[in-house]
Amino acid sequence: MGARAHGFRDRASEALADANLQRSIASLKDGFVAARARAVAELPEFEAMREAGAAIKDHTLANLDHYLLRYEAEVVKRGGHVHWANDAEEACRIVRDICHRVGAKTVTKGKSMVSEEIGLNAALEADGLEVLETDAGEYIVQLAKEAPSHIVMPTIHKTTRQIADLFHEHHQRYGFTERVEDAAELIGQVRSVLRSKFFAADVGVTGANFLVAETGSNVIVTNEGNGDLTSTLARVHIVTAGIEKVVPTLNDTAVLLRLLARSALGMDVTSYVTYATGPRRPDDLDGPEEYHVVLIDNGRTKMLAGAIRPMLRCIRCGACMNHCPVYLSVGGHAYGGVYPGPMGAVLMPMISGHDKAQELPHACTLNGRCQQVCPVKIPLPDLLRRLRHEQWEEGFIRGKSRWGITAWAWLATRPVLYHRLTKLIVALAGLAGRSRGRFHRLPLASGWTDDRDMPAPQATTFHAAWAKAKRQR
Amino acid sequence: MGREEILARIRSALSDRPHAQADNAALDERMAMRPAGPAVHFDGDLLPRFIAKSLANHFTLERIASMQLLVPAIRALLPADETPDISVAQALDHVGWPPEWTINRGAGRPVERLSVTLAYAGIAETGSIVMRSGADSPTTLNFLPDLHVVVLHASDVVRYPEDVWRRMDVSAAAWPRSVNVISGPSRTADVGGTIVRPAHGPKSVQLIIIDD
Repeated sequence: MGARAHGFRDRASEALADANLQRSIASLKDGFVAARARAVAELPEFEAMREAGAAIKDHTLANLDHYLLRYEAEVVKRGGHVHWANDAEEACRIVRDICHRVGAKTVTKGKSMVSEEIGLNAALEADGLEVLETDAGEYIVQLAKEAPSHIVMPTIHKTTRQIADLFHEHHQRYGFTERVEDAAELIGQVRSVLRSKFFAADVGVTGANFLVAETGSNVIVTNEGNGDLTSTLARVHIVTAGIEKVVPTLNDTAVLLRLLARSALGMDVTSYVTYATGPRRPDDLDGPEEYHVVLIDNGRTKMLAGAIRPMLRCIRCGACMNHCPVYLSVGGHAYGGVYPGPMGAVLMPMISGHDKAQELPHACTLNGRCQQVCPVKIPLPDLLRRLRHEQWEEGFIRGKSRWGITAWAWLATRPVLYHRLTKLIVALAGLAGRSRGRFHRLPLASGWTDDRDMPAPQATTFHAAWAKAKRQR
Repeated sequence: MGREEILARIRSALSDRPHAQADNAALDERMAMRPAGPAVHFDGDLLPRFIAKSLANHFTLERIASMQLLVPAIRALLPADETPDISVAQALDHVGWPPEWTINRGAGRPVERLSVTLAYAGIAETGSIVMRSGADSPTTLNFLPDLHVVVLHASDVVRYPEDVWRRMDVSAAAWPRSVNVISGPSRTADVGGTIVRPAHGPKSVQLIIIDD
């Protein structure tokens, strides 16, 4: 997946020209942004909650070894198994081995971004398993052979009409012969198709919004109920989770859940929050016979070790992308990785490497809205600047960009020369652009002038204007 | 497999902390104290708040004076010309169900019109109900029926989720496989951003509050 991030510019251009996509993304601006603002305005304690949420995550990360071991001990005490995976390949192998051992044929899945990150579906399908996403949105993008374009709303890029076509193509064999465009009828088809699959599944895979060290539970936050049918009806429940998902106590989840639903959907709560712990108890009438957790590193300890550590606070609410002018212009697929938007621009280079996601930290205007709305106060613009710096230091920025920045840096550290030269350029440009007030074309700036005009300068530099104003005072 | 390697990398990443190892005693103390974060402040009695919030969550709601009135309340939810075929959690075995009804006392079935379960608690802050899995309360009864009927004693409504955790025994022997905090019927907005109820779970959730 990461390799696709190479062509951010090309994909962004395509996205800007895609009218369906533009209409779909526009709904985020109106819907989610307004809903979140209302929910936050109704809660005077929200700011204190953000502080508390960030503090819980920082405390846990600063003692991550302790809490993971405590979590592991509680899972084991309650009959579950914990597996540790260094990277995506190991994580997939662990899940494949479990599926193989229990003779699995069908795997149902609740929504799990980390399972997308490790490429689990492809790994299981390569073993001949039937893998079925059960979240309606994930089911739709799986049928369409696409990737989710938003971490909370995977189908935000798809119109109802496109989904109607997709279902008409794939659901006739279930008896849905007529093409319908009504959202309720389309969801009714998903419900009907998947109901028997939940019962037939050998293995159910879910993610975890949180792992609770106190009780050895994984917490999933959903609205559809598919995650619970996945984890309860399959013979074996496997949880895939990043190591940063652990929090100390049940009360800590209460703080973070108040932030999550408001930041993600603008609601006080979601329909379902489930704390699942271990396999079925001896007297239970339902639940899985086995319960496994795969704890996944895949770049997270690297983030823990350095300046990017605050990124591990992320609770995957999607507010940063809902408020990002770049995401709202090009959508999620342009980012080319599993995680789009500001959080993805930080995560993807750390997970896949700078060489695979080099453009992403630059797909940002540093306007800072993501940081303002982040429920756990991640300084996303600072982290993105930091990654740009790392790319520079490690030589990933080459060619015209490197030459240009080097030249500018040389000039900027020589103030006298800088002032004289800029004065000259501004005067000449002001003169040249005097008649129209703008330029259609400029040498070395076609990246700008291809799409819009460059305003002509006012024939004086900022420094000169400042000095003049000071004299007149 | 990766356990020791991951732990070693974590410890190396955290090598700047004051103690070489985590201060286990202090961390265990925090765990035992279970500090609470900032609360959502609200005034007044718990039950009116719970009812207002649960209605906002699209629950439907009925209040009855005692458990004796439960059977007629359920009867009224089904078509009059139909002999009920429902699933009932064993926690409600003692209610005196009519012998002519078909009653499943096991786990949920693939086609499930109506189930009746007993809530462990209600949360006034959010209008949520808390279900605790066990022999007397299978989890599938919360997710498979078209209509999920939840019986809740008014005295089991608490202020915050933190109060639920205080009431529950978290020890390995007592903690259930599944705790479901439910705040409305199943829904999705994955087709065109339109909210549709239901998605995979119940189309409606009827609360029956017993005023004891």
